[in-house]
Amino acid sequence: MKILVQKFGGTSVDRPEHRALAARKVIKAREAGFHPVVVVSAIGRAGAPYATDTLIKVLQEIDPQVKPAAREMDMMMACGEIISTVVFAHTLQTRGFKAIALSGGQAGIITTREFGNARILEIRPHYIQRLLEQGYIPVVCGFQGITQPSNEYEHGAITTLGRGGSDTTGSALGAALKAVAVEIYTDVDGVRTADPNLVPGAYTLPVCTYEEVAEMAHQGAKVIHPRAAEIAMDYNIPLWVKSTFSEGPGTRIAGADAPESVRCRLTGITHTGQIVYIRLEIENAKHKPQIECEVYRMMARAGVNIYLVTYSPTALSFAVPRNLYSKAQDLLDGMVVPVEHETPDENGKLGTYYIFKFSEGLDLAYSVQRPLLKPVERRVNIVDVPASVVENCTMVSVIASNHRRVPGVVASIFETLTNAGIAVHQTADSEMSISCLVPESEGGRAVRLLHERLFEQ
Amino acid sequence: MSDPEPKTQAPNVSFERERGVYAIQVTRDVAHAVVSVGEDALRTARILQTFRALAQANVPVFMVKMHHSAVTFAMAGAEMARAEAALAEAGLEAKTRRDLAVVAVRASSMRDLSGVMVEIADTLYSVGARLYETGDSHNSVQCLVEAVCVPQAIQALCRTFRLSADCVQVTSLEAAA
Repeated sequence: MKILVQKFGGTSVDRPEHRALAARKVIKAREAGFHPVVVVSAIGRAGAPYATDTLIKVLQEIDPQVKPAAREMDMMMACGEIISTVVFAHTLQTRGFKAIALSGGQAGIITTREFGNARILEIRPHYIQRLLEQGYIPVVCGFQGITQPSNEYEHGAITTLGRGGSDTTGSALGAALKAVAVEIYTDVDGVRTADPNLVPGAYTLPVCTYEEVAEMAHQGAKVIHPRAAEIAMDYNIPLWVKSTFSEGPGTRIAGADAPESVRCRLTGITHTGQIVYIRLEIENAKHKPQIECEVYRMMARAGVNIYLVTYSPTALSFAVPRNLYSKAQDLLDGMVVPVEHETPDENGKLGTYYIFKFSEGLDLAYSVQRPLLKPVERRVNIVDVPASVVENCTMVSVIASNHRRVPGVVASIFETLTNAGIAVHQTADSEMSISCLVPESEGGRAVRLLHERLFEQ
Repeated sequence: MSDPEPKTQAPNVSFERERGVYAIQVTRDVAHAVVSVGEDALRTARILQTFRALAQANVPVFMVKMHHSAVTFAMAGAEMARAEAALAEAGLEAKTRRDLAVVAVRASSMRDLSGVMVEIADTLYSVGARLYETGDSHNSVQCLVEAVCVPQAIQALCRTFRLSADCVQVTSLEAAA
């Protein structure tokens, strides 16, 4: 049995005419001899009546001061896909096809109990397989599953899979059903070299590797969720990204069979994030590791993710998402890291207290805390750790497979940006990308210039 | 619709990688360079000069970091002599060393996890491994440490993240053609 999983995103099912185009793709697959299994997202995006965000709002508006319970929130959010599934199944039925709507649980998707961000534990594909044998087109809710029906605490509770959940459902079903391919339908005709809204010259890549597409998605490209790519990669399921609204071939996401030409190349330019960059001046190299660890510990305790971490003998710099910056700043300003000396120093001091100080106006906690340390000044050194901040940054990334084997990539990027007067505050790189922290206001221009230099010349 | 008995009993499929750290990758024979670029108006021009000199000498670089008065980067140990010569020819002052290795801790969606950095730093410092530089991406935190510390660092990281020896991969960087 040639099973083909076809996943349709919110914009592919938001209007009758779009659903008609999506249904046409399913019917075409059926006519070509495939057994389609359809996965759908909720109808429309934020603001649409049955979109996930709209449903969440219904609960939040009951009392904005009381956070809805995660379990109930998941039941609510799952409604969007249930409605969408029923509507799509009915659309196929009106065209004379045997279609059946299935919830995530009915499709056999069993997850952990992490409401809002559940992980798929297993898929029990028997029911879908039986339906396919009987000639049905199963239409499955994306983004959702259920806890183990035998779970003593939460038997069969509805869970949601978190961001990109419907893509994840598509890939996971493809793996469980040993599908010949998974097709992810969206409103763009495949994986582009850049966001076409920013770069008119961006073009569609015929083939990408799983690693490239995962990296692009992580760095801000809205193509396919990296988790879905990861599952497809682990199970070696051929994945396609296609447009519901065109007949273009789309992009094939390949694994071990990817052509050699894509193993070492420039893939695309992305940009993501509203970022704040923080620099801490730590003069004492001997105590620096302890101070750094305290900073990391504090950030971790508060759930603030830090990245673009940079060391120098006398400084520690890192980036935080802008929405978490005030939290990070509150935590750091006035923070005291006491370091004991193994033996009293030449002035007879038993230790050093490091206190973090942001620039004037941002140092309220410091200004309260610092005088409180006065009484201990006779016994310990009090040392300020000045903190400076670069606000309003964004990260522009060049996705470049195996660039560590290619000389000149960093030079091209830096030259393009600095020649255009765009400040590069910091860089970060992995095996698959090189990212530059630039002013947010220059993000779009940086993407355009880099695309022009690296892809159009 | 009736719910017929299954014709075939397909095996259940277990899915999705565990969240969190799943592997450690060590890259041997890595060199590191610190190039002085000053803090004056020519800083950016000197950084650019550095990258151009390295590109012309065919030296791929990574873990590139901008500092107030320096730019630092890592490269394959085998490239170090070529990099030194190119930088000297460009009139740039550089300090290099070749006794380093990159220890990369891999996790799915690293940037969604908080607390990994502190665990890595705590663990490495506990075995006396000084961090010369770090890099991070969506699926890894890379730490440049002295090669001599690598065996203890790996053991300690495996303990911290409850990884078996099978999860450790050792590689070397190839020199550019």
